Amino acid sequence: MSQVFHDIEKKIIASLKENPTQTPETLGASTKLSADQIRRGIEWLKLKDLAIVNESKTSVFSLGKNGIESFKKGLPERRLLDSLKNGPRKMSDLQQELGPVFGPAIGLSRKNNWVEASSDEISLKNPILELPGEKTLKQIAIDNVSEKHIDKNDLSVLLKRPNFIVEDVIKSKEISLTDSARLITILESSGAIDVEAKVPEIFVARTHPLKDTIDEIREIFVTLGFSEIIGNMTQSSFWNFDALFTPQDHPARELQDTFYLDGILTKKTGTAEQIRNVSESHKKNWRYHWDINEARKMVLRTHTTCVTIKHLAENKPDESRVFSLGRVFRNEKVSYKHLVEFNQIEGIVVGKDATLRNLMGIQREFYKRIGITKIKFWPTFFPYTEPSLQTMVYNERLGKWVELFGMGIFRPEVTKPLGITKPVLAWGGGIERIAMLKYGLDDVREFYSNNLNWLRSVTKCQ
Amino acid sequence: MPVVELSYKRLQKLVGQVTKKQISNSLPFLGLDIESEDKDLVRIEYSPNRPDYSTDFGIALGLQGLLGIKTGTIKLNIKKSNKYEISVNPRVSKIRPFVTGIIAKNGKIDDITIKQLMAMQEDLHFGIGRKRKKSSIGIHDLDKISFPLVYTTTNQNHKFIPLNSEKELTISEILTNTDVGKDYGYVLGNSQQMPIILDTNQQTVSFPPIINAAVTTLTTETKNLFVEVTGINKDDAEDMLSVVATILQSAGFILESIQISGTKNFTPKLKSRKIPISPTLVNQILGLNLTNSKIISSLKKSRLDASSKNKNIICTIPAYRFDIFGSMDLVEEVALGYGIQNLEPTLTPSQTLGQMNHVSIKLKSLSQLMIGLGYLEALNSSLTSKRVLYDMTNRDSEKIISVLDSKSQEHTILRDSVLPGLLENLSRNIHESYPQKLFETGTVFTQTNPVSEKINLAGISAHQDANFTEIKSVLQSALKTGFNIKIETKTVLHPSFEEGHCASVVVNDNHIGVIGKINSKIVENYKIRVPAVGFEISLSESILKSI
Repeated sequence: MSQVFHDIEKKIIASLKENPTQTPETLGASTKLSADQIRRGIEWLKLKDLAIVNESKTSVFSLGKNGIESFKKGLPERRLLDSLKNGPRKMSDLQQELGPVFGPAIGLSRKNNWVEASSDEISLKNPILELPGEKTLKQIAIDNVSEKHIDKNDLSVLLKRPNFIVEDVIKSKEISLTDSARLITILESSGAIDVEAKVPEIFVARTHPLKDTIDEIREIFVTLGFSEIIGNMTQSSFWNFDALFTPQDHPARELQDTFYLDGILTKKTGTAEQIRNVSESHKKNWRYHWDINEARKMVLRTHTTCVTIKHLAENKPDESRVFSLGRVFRNEKVSYKHLVEFNQIEGIVVGKDATLRNLMGIQREFYKRIGITKIKFWPTFFPYTEPSLQTMVYNERLGKWVELFGMGIFRPEVTKPLGITKPVLAWGGGIERIAMLKYGLDDVREFYSNNLNWLRSVTKCQ
Repeated sequence: MPVVELSYKRLQKLVGQVTKKQISNSLPFLGLDIESEDKDLVRIEYSPNRPDYSTDFGIALGLQGLLGIKTGTIKLNIKKSNKYEISVNPRVSKIRPFVTGIIAKNGKIDDITIKQLMAMQEDLHFGIGRKRKKSSIGIHDLDKISFPLVYTTTNQNHKFIPLNSEKELTISEILTNTDVGKDYGYVLGNSQQMPIILDTNQQTVSFPPIINAAVTTLTTETKNLFVEVTGINKDDAEDMLSVVATILQSAGFILESIQISGTKNFTPKLKSRKIPISPTLVNQILGLNLTNSKIISSLKKSRLDASSKNKNIICTIPAYRFDIFGSMDLVEEVALGYGIQNLEPTLTPSQTLGQMNHVSIKLKSLSQLMIGLGYLEALNSSLTSKRVLYDMTNRDSEKIISVLDSKSQEHTILRDSVLPGLLENLSRNIHESYPQKLFETGTVFTQTNPVSEKINLAGISAHQDANFTEIKSVLQSALKTGFNIKIETKTVLHPSFEEGHCASVVVNDNHIGVIGKINSKIVENYKIRVPAVGFEISLSESILKSI
């Protein structure tokens, strides 16, 4: 088995092959790597299942205060036995001689039958060569000893006695190679690199996510047989409102909803005939004084319908499917729900198929193609269509129905003055709303904030 | 869209034999959106063309129809009476020439009803009243008024106690000191003479279209009402009156007529209209094959009346349905009565072939090329600010196109250049990793006759080693590979670029844009810590020229 390793890994593996079980410290000494390099190298090898790391705890023993005294003078019982070597002694003399250790010494010696005591005299009974604990006491006194090298029984005698032994617990790591690692051959000269290592992130250049949605929608309508038309964002009030049967005193036309261009009027509105017919339709149906100067005011289009109605008025087709796609404007406070400028799609159908059920069918097909199948239609009101409907689609993430495209059939009050004789289906709506569903956004402003973090990371194909 | 708050329990009582669920399921199919619900309360959004839906009485009429509980029109039963008269003085003809009205008796009004009537009044004022300019309404306690009345004019010193006031105010005080006076005084223009309705004791009843007198205020004790509508058009005033009359009758009042006379004023008729509708048109537009009797029953569910006559259907429309202009409106009424939920969508294969616009095709190709060159697409508003367009980028313009009364400071003028937006984008991403390379295609606006719209392409590259050569290579490759257009660059000065690192982009001897290293002051203004290079060219004068 041959594999590519980092230099650090190579050195650690080599050292462990020579010396199979090591600590980080011994590895450091043998490889000349820093503690941090060793730590990282061990971690990498462990992740690749090449190294085994045993973490263990060891006790190391040293002498306490009483232990040191006993090492110098002998254990209390040893001192007692020594003083009886030359024959029985008086209890009171011994007590004076040994001081505070006399009690424990006599207790232990009697219990073990080493001495015999009468009322006031003590004599040696069984002379003993090495007392329990003596061997270990010496061993620890020479060097601190770990538990591995110690007689546990002998130690336990000392551990029971106060301040004889101090125990330290030391954690340690032992590193060894796994079986498979031992078989690894390191090829020094292949020039191969670590193909499994992490690499830096780079960012794909891409179209804007909202543009992707716009392109997707454009493509759907083209494949449904619609042709794209384009028109200006700045429009006369005539085409934005008057031609669409919105009376000049209608609240929607006020400054607070519509952007009027400061001091800009146009001489070009409609043809003389269009102007005459439109103004008459307004006067007759809305009962007010229609003013051409109001129609000349330039606005930022509030919908793309002005583009489609102009197209119809200019071409008067018997059969047609066209759509228009682009920016529209509303004088609103910008919020997570509202932008002053957003994209709208608007489509129309003229011809034999112009029925309300077909209009609903086109909508259903469109939603199906963008992945929305749970839809329903509700009646609604628009000034320039009759009948009018809106699509409600179910937003799974929010768990509720949300309004998407509006639709209807252009009113005769709209089409007749412009010489359009056939019924015209029309629908339209905001694209950002669809894009929000697609990208799971709750704040529509995100589309225009050009936040690179988002643009670089959001999944393109959703 | 106006909103009305209703109680389900009250609606259930008004509709009769209906569950809460049936109501909430049916509301959307009347064109009413449920905005929110909280136990018994429901907030409903209705269309401004249906002011009869501004009260629960009106909505109940609609629900009864849709659910088949009561169908057909609501006939107004107006008892003829000679007890109530309003005479009109010719002096009003120059200010607010028309008055109309009705008496409503023996009703019971509770707090909720008062609240709903007031809300209806406000919606009528805003919508068909066009902020009280076209017509406005006053509802009074009949028993506080002594008929006959006179609709005449008075001067600015005329005094009375207006609604919501403790003391007498003069007309001029009302106009200058009260909220309603300030909001609606404009309707009366500069006239010194003010319209006024006085009763037989010279007591002020109303100062239309501004405010009623306090004395006639409705309370829960009120049993009999006097409704007056004034306006600048007789038909509009009668339309408004018809809504109120219908609602009051539905609320249990008995209507009585008022005799109105003088200078083109007449007693209102509030009569229904008849409009014929062809079953062929209905079926053609809806894509259905309904029999005449099904069409008639559907119209009745929409609270209209209809009958067959030869092959046509004659539809009777009550006065308050002035939103109906002609036969297409009736097609919608058939659809609503039939039930939108019963219309099955159909899809007929297209007879036409679809095609993308040539401009879109070219722009799509261009954006593919820019992406191939490593540029990320940005999108900025075309309505932007002086700060972004000019102040931050050292640029100037003689002909700024600004919009009136924008609600947002960041959106006040139309861009004449795309590049400033991209610089702004860089400034908002200084914490993100470099290189940062952005492009945008977008419409730019110039004031000509009246406004010309062209499409520009701008690109920008910011990183430690950004330089002129790099950005020129990018633009050169994009245009050469994409459109076989060769560019030349000629030294030029531009306030947004560094002197000596800035050139005009020339195609076939035509200047189409500018390219170079962004002026270090601008980069500094924006706190961008690396150098940036960029370009902007007119696509309308290059790749889109022949379209």
